[in-house]
Amino acid sequence: MTEFLTAAVGFILAMLALGLVSILRGPGDADRMMAMQLIGTGGIATLLLLGTVASLPAAIDVALTLALLATFASIAFVKKGLSSLDADGTAPTEPK
Amino acid sequence: MSIATIFEIVLAAVVLGLGIWTIVVRETYSATVGFVAYGLLVALIWVRLDAIDVALTEAAIGGGLGGVLLLGAAAQLRDSEPAVTDAAGNAVRVCAAILSALTAATLAGAVLVLPDPAPTLAPAAVSNAWATSLANPVTNVLMAFRAMDTMLEKVVLLLAIIGVWSLAPDSAWGGHPGPRHQADPHGVLVFLARLLPPIGIVVGIYVLWTGANHPGGAFQGGAILAAMWLLAIMAGLADTPPVSSRRLRLILVAGPGLFLVVGIAGLLFGSAFLSYPPAQAKPLILAIEVAMILTIAATLGLLLAGAPERRTGQ
Repeated sequence: MTEFLTAAVGFILAMLALGLVSILRGPGDADRMMAMQLIGTGGIATLLLLGTVASLPAAIDVALTLALLATFASIAFVKKGLSSLDADGTAPTEPK
Repeated sequence: MSIATIFEIVLAAVVLGLGIWTIVVRETYSATVGFVAYGLLVALIWVRLDAIDVALTEAAIGGGLGGVLLLGAAAQLRDSEPAVTDAAGNAVRVCAAILSALTAATLAGAVLVLPDPAPTLAPAAVSNAWATSLANPVTNVLMAFRAMDTMLEKVVLLLAIIGVWSLAPDSAWGGHPGPRHQADPHGVLVFLARLLPPIGIVVGIYVLWTGANHPGGAFQGGAILAAMWLLAIMAGLADTPPVSSRRLRLILVAGPGLFLVVGIAGLLFGSAFLSYPPAQAKPLILAIEVAMILTIAATLGLLLAGAPERRTGQ
């Protein structure tokens, strides 16, 4: 069972690496933001699995913190990004 | 090679790659996104190293509040960015590269000459845990054995907020930090800002409470509470308090103030500054932590909100 869970961690980590490729490529801020969200979700999944594999119940607390703070960060991204774009008078870069 | 080793190698490679990209990339906004993702992944590494307390702080500060702080700076710098990037000449670049290489080499050398086994006070901290009846060694060190450092750290937070406030223009002094946010009252942002804070407040208090015996503590809990407060502010459900508010200033000094009072009481009635009598150590530490979580939440929230920008009613 532990091997299976560890393999699942590896799989999610590979997905995280794919999300990183998306952060690197962009092209728009919104694309990078969405990829960051994916990494946040993947990080939470990894933490929960890792907590079970290594029998670290406190890893769940880290996952909780990450879940709350990643949501907060993404909202701040949208808010701050939008307000600066409004001030410029330029069109926001929407993902198509 | 076990699966766990492969996992560690992949994680380290991903974090290193992301770190390099964050430094190399030209746009500040993209670098900020990279930095937030980097914070999330470093939290994973701390968990893997069994340093859950550090992982909690990294998730709260590196992945959350720190990212938002940088983001605000990036949004403000956006207009002036091209002028800044053109400035560095070749000589400056070479000097910076040499300086960075020297620093890296010094650090690597320092790590290599560390004695093996490394000097550690961990056994001493664990064997003296009875003195506070707290089971989490990190909380023991932070709140009892090295309480002086923690107290001074809270004073530094206070100095930081004074530094931010001192950037306010004279006309706005005593007013509200940051802009007054408006949002569609039926929109998804307002919905989330009503849904998430109750859960977040419970998690924040839980992280503080569990810190006595398991990883957690006032700083991590305070960071979560600050995030929830800022969420309500960004959705326009609440306004930042005016910095002249007496209640706000009382909250800001509550943590270090109570810490100082307990410390001086230890000097008068006990053996030394900040010495707790073992029988009352746990209630005293908890009381200080409750005052500190309020101070930390208010301070972090106000640090992110920025300098006062407008007077009441604007």
